[in-house]
Amino acid sequence: MGREPKLIDCDVHNSFNDISELLPFLPKVWHQQLLEHGFTDVINKAFSPVGLVRRDAVPPNGGRPASDPQFMLEHHIEPNGIDYAILTGTPYMNALSLLYDPDYANALASALNEWMVEKWLKVSPKFKGSIHVNFSDPQAAVKEIERWAGHPDMVQVIMCSSAKIPFGQRHYHPIYEAAEHHGLPVAVHPGAEGLGQSYPPTPSGYPTRFMEWENILPLNFMGHVNSLVCEGVFEKFPKFKFVAIEGGVSWLPHLMWRMDKNYKALRDSAPWLKRLPSEYIKDHIYLTTQPIEEPPNPEYLVQIYKMCGAEDIVMFSSDYAHWDNDDPKMALTPFPKEMREKIAAKNAMKLYGLYEAPEQTEVSGA
Amino acid sequence: MNRYKVAALKELQEKRCMKVNVSGIDIALFYVDGKCYAYNDRCPHEAAPMHKGVVCGTRLPAGTYEYVYGMEDQVVRCPWHGWEFDIKTGKHLANTDVKLRSYRVEEDGEDVYVLLNR
Repeated sequence: MGREPKLIDCDVHNSFNDISELLPFLPKVWHQQLLEHGFTDVINKAFSPVGLVRRDAVPPNGGRPASDPQFMLEHHIEPNGIDYAILTGTPYMNALSLLYDPDYANALASALNEWMVEKWLKVSPKFKGSIHVNFSDPQAAVKEIERWAGHPDMVQVIMCSSAKIPFGQRHYHPIYEAAEHHGLPVAVHPGAEGLGQSYPPTPSGYPTRFMEWENILPLNFMGHVNSLVCEGVFEKFPKFKFVAIEGGVSWLPHLMWRMDKNYKALRDSAPWLKRLPSEYIKDHIYLTTQPIEEPPNPEYLVQIYKMCGAEDIVMFSSDYAHWDNDDPKMALTPFPKEMREKIAAKNAMKLYGLYEAPEQTEVSGA
Repeated sequence: MNRYKVAALKELQEKRCMKVNVSGIDIALFYVDGKCYAYNDRCPHEAAPMHKGVVCGTRLPAGTYEYVYGMEDQVVRCPWHGWEFDIKTGKHLANTDVKLRSYRVEEDGEDVYVLLNR
């Protein structure tokens, strides 16, 4: 038995260098659509002067950041002492559920999963994959989960957080049933709020600036967490776990307290709830750290985590190689040792069943 | 313990819920399934007058998307924030650690009595 993992990065983006990488995994009938249209429906965001990726993450061959597994190991995984990297694809990949053509989306999900296994998971035992599914077609999503659930390196299902139906509603229950059956968490990642077949990022409409859009992403996550609990998903699927990636944390006490208060008054509108809403959140929802919240006094963040039991449900994420990524050596410094260890690895270790760190591997070309 | 006559049984049976004042204390009386109950009229949450609440039934705990109606006329719903209390136990349905403050109540012939330590 090896040592326990010390650092698990729960949001590492693996990208294409060129979208044609997907062709070997995609039926010929979709090739033109991929090459001429790709993921266009869910890509165009507001302007950012910073750009969306780290400028130092370009591989030596000049390809796109996070498109070269070996360089990712050399540049991010090994230097930071990361035992496992949960690969999440990219936000536009996650957002295939919002593409206008659901059949194309189903084909892309299948192709992405094969690409994940062939191009990434075979490279290093440190890489763990996420199963892309198209939530606009739950039956197809279930098939895709069934297809990959037995793969030892696929550790969760991934979808985009942008949606037209809140995630607690019955539309998604077949997906959760399949995920629960196979012991796979369902994770959601932001980035397509307001794009493709979705609504504006706020109920009042569209932000005008990238900064404004980025600031308010947690609003959507609050809505989904609220929906998951109130619709009784965790009573119906008592072993089901949901991972809210990159949606913030500090809103959690507010939402918990508001939900608990209203439950005391309005219990009979959700009679399937047997406990306070906050208790379901603590038992079933996981969140990730990045972008780590940076209050004027770092101790405030520790206090907020303590208020809502976040130390047991928040997991470190770097968001490599995006512009707003967090360095694991820096981002967790506000937390005391025991809390830091849970966030850095122990919570993810339990969620994903990664109890043993992989043996040290040589990085070729390092 | 002093025994205070607080209402005619027939009146309480007809109204099912009424407020009385005993030695300066507002008390909400209820009549459910042939029995009288007496509680402090202040909701333990924010002191709303419980006798103004609706006496009703509710949706009982059930599976997701299942609906089971029950406790017909056994629940008083606070007139402000809607907290539901089981009139037979005084307990809040969402958090049974929270209770209405109860008083001993007795029926004696045609009258209802409340027993207080004052």
